Amino acid sequence: MNDLLYLVWRYIVFHRWKTTILVLSITLIIYLPVGLNVLVEQSAEQLTARARATPLLVGAKGSPLELALSSLYFDADTPALSRYADVARVRESGLAEPIPLYVRFDVRGQPVIGTTLEYFDFRELRIADGRQIAVLGEAVLGAKAARELGVRAGDEIVSSPENVFDLAGVYPLKMRITGVLEPAYTADDDAVFVDLKTSWIMQGLGHGHQDLDTSEAASAVLSRDDNRIVANASVVQYNEITAENIDSFHFHGDNGGFPITAALAVPHDQKSGVILQGRFGGDDEPSQIIRPVDVVDELLDTVLTIRQFVLAAVVIVGAATLATAILVFMLSLRLRRRERLTLFKIGGSRQAVAGMLMAEIAGVIVASALLATVLTLLTNRFGENLIRVVFL
Amino acid sequence: MARMIRIEDLMFRYRGGDFSLRLPQLTIAAGESLAIVGPSGSGKTTLLNLIAGILEPERGRVIVDDTDVPALDDPARRDFRIGRMGLVFQEFELLEYLSVLDNIVLPYRITGALTLDAGVRERARRLAADVGIDDKLDRFPDQLSQGERQRVAICRAVIVEPPVLLADEPTGNLDPGNKDRVLDILFACARANDSTLVAVTHDQELLPRFDRVVDFTEFLTTEAAA
Repeated sequence: MNDLLYLVWRYIVFHRWKTTILVLSITLIIYLPVGLNVLVEQSAEQLTARARATPLLVGAKGSPLELALSSLYFDADTPALSRYADVARVRESGLAEPIPLYVRFDVRGQPVIGTTLEYFDFRELRIADGRQIAVLGEAVLGAKAARELGVRAGDEIVSSPENVFDLAGVYPLKMRITGVLEPAYTADDDAVFVDLKTSWIMQGLGHGHQDLDTSEAASAVLSRDDNRIVANASVVQYNEITAENIDSFHFHGDNGGFPITAALAVPHDQKSGVILQGRFGGDDEPSQIIRPVDVVDELLDTVLTIRQFVLAAVVIVGAATLATAILVFMLSLRLRRRERLTLFKIGGSRQAVAGMLMAEIAGVIVASALLATVLTLLTNRFGENLIRVVFL
Repeated sequence: MARMIRIEDLMFRYRGGDFSLRLPQLTIAAGESLAIVGPSGSGKTTLLNLIAGILEPERGRVIVDDTDVPALDDPARRDFRIGRMGLVFQEFELLEYLSVLDNIVLPYRITGALTLDAGVRERARRLAADVGIDDKLDRFPDQLSQGERQRVAICRAVIVEPPVLLADEPTGNLDPGNKDRVLDILFACARANDSTLVAVTHDQELLPRFDRVVDFTEFLTTEAAA
């Protein structure tokens, strides 16, 4: 037996390239569907994990999927905007703690999230370097965002204008980075977090400018009465919030009408959650309340259907490759007909000769299966990190 | 020890083919060297395969010493062949993926009836030295000349020290210079093992070197000059 295995080994070593190609082909046939399955399972797990950790979202009526994706993963077209009044409404209901989210602007592709400090506690985000935001104009960056932008605590960033000729007053705002978060391996790593009011200032809902009571600005004043001062465009507006000018920043109008993407609602208990859903569930209600886990599950159902198609394609390609591998084996056996005959003539039994050839094929298949198993185990072990790095 | 070979009333036909071989009687003395000549398709190689027990006749007997080879069952015939017959082929039939040394000891690897040990390896090295290829033991067949390949094939045939040596056109693929050398080696190995040598050949120049020549054209036996 050992002697026959030695012959098998010599054959495999002599034809190492052919054997290697065969082993790799069969490995891929085995690994692709299995590995893909593992990756999809892990992706689904990570998607649902964040959705499961987010009890309820209140937002404007429209696509629940867009609302969930933009509020959870900051990765969708801006959905219909809700009003800050929804936050107050949730709070006043006494059923849940609201956390506002305003996802509209970005800094060189990294989404700017206007929120409150409660968000960091809720997501268990910790500062790795620097400190939390404390006043208007400050920002805390997710680990990946800091890496992508090449900045650290103490540096400054400028929000990107929505378009080049933005005449509506959405000016780039220079912000100070006060801290960088520890990696969370979620969408938070990509984000630039600012106070909700800072994001409103980016939109032009709040602003700071020269004090019109000072002599420097006197020439800009067009008219003045008890409650109202009208000035011309020469009044200097600030595009950076500093200790010197922070007091000049103010908002016009009722902040209840200011925009937010969603209010993340954390019910005090299950019953409170159900009641809250009922309150926002009316047909004439301008807002909607969603359970993100339901929306993501629905999305995953679609993804899983797509996976079935992908797997079917992989199986077809695999079958074609397997057929080719079988053809290679068959041709190899045919080419080695004389060798088999020689072995038989000089004393080998037909069974031993056939066993030798079968051992070669089995060796290739076993090596492929082992390699595929190792790859699958590696995917299982590191797939989660891979998904986080590449996709999240 | 050489074996006498006796063939009686031999009849063989390939399944589904027109060819048939009829050989009323042929006796090859122990230690004798016999050349079989004849046109292609006259059954020379078939006879070698019948003597070796690779083919089974329709009727008749092939007796090597006292053993009727066709009467043995398949495994017994194979064991008989392993221990008592050495085969040399026209196309050498070496395994490309084995070194020269591994090719020589191949009969010991493909059957449980023989044991490959240090003594066998030493004998293989000695044989290789005898035929002038001891410096090529680690090489592979495609790194050898035609003549060297046939010498390896002869070493593989005689490594088991067979009493009967069957050679099918052993010089058929060799140039004139190598023909004589290989035939010298074949005869020397046969003598060293006291083997009966049966060789199929087309080469008329080689016939005088055999004790006897059988012309398969008419099954006439002619004594060649020794």
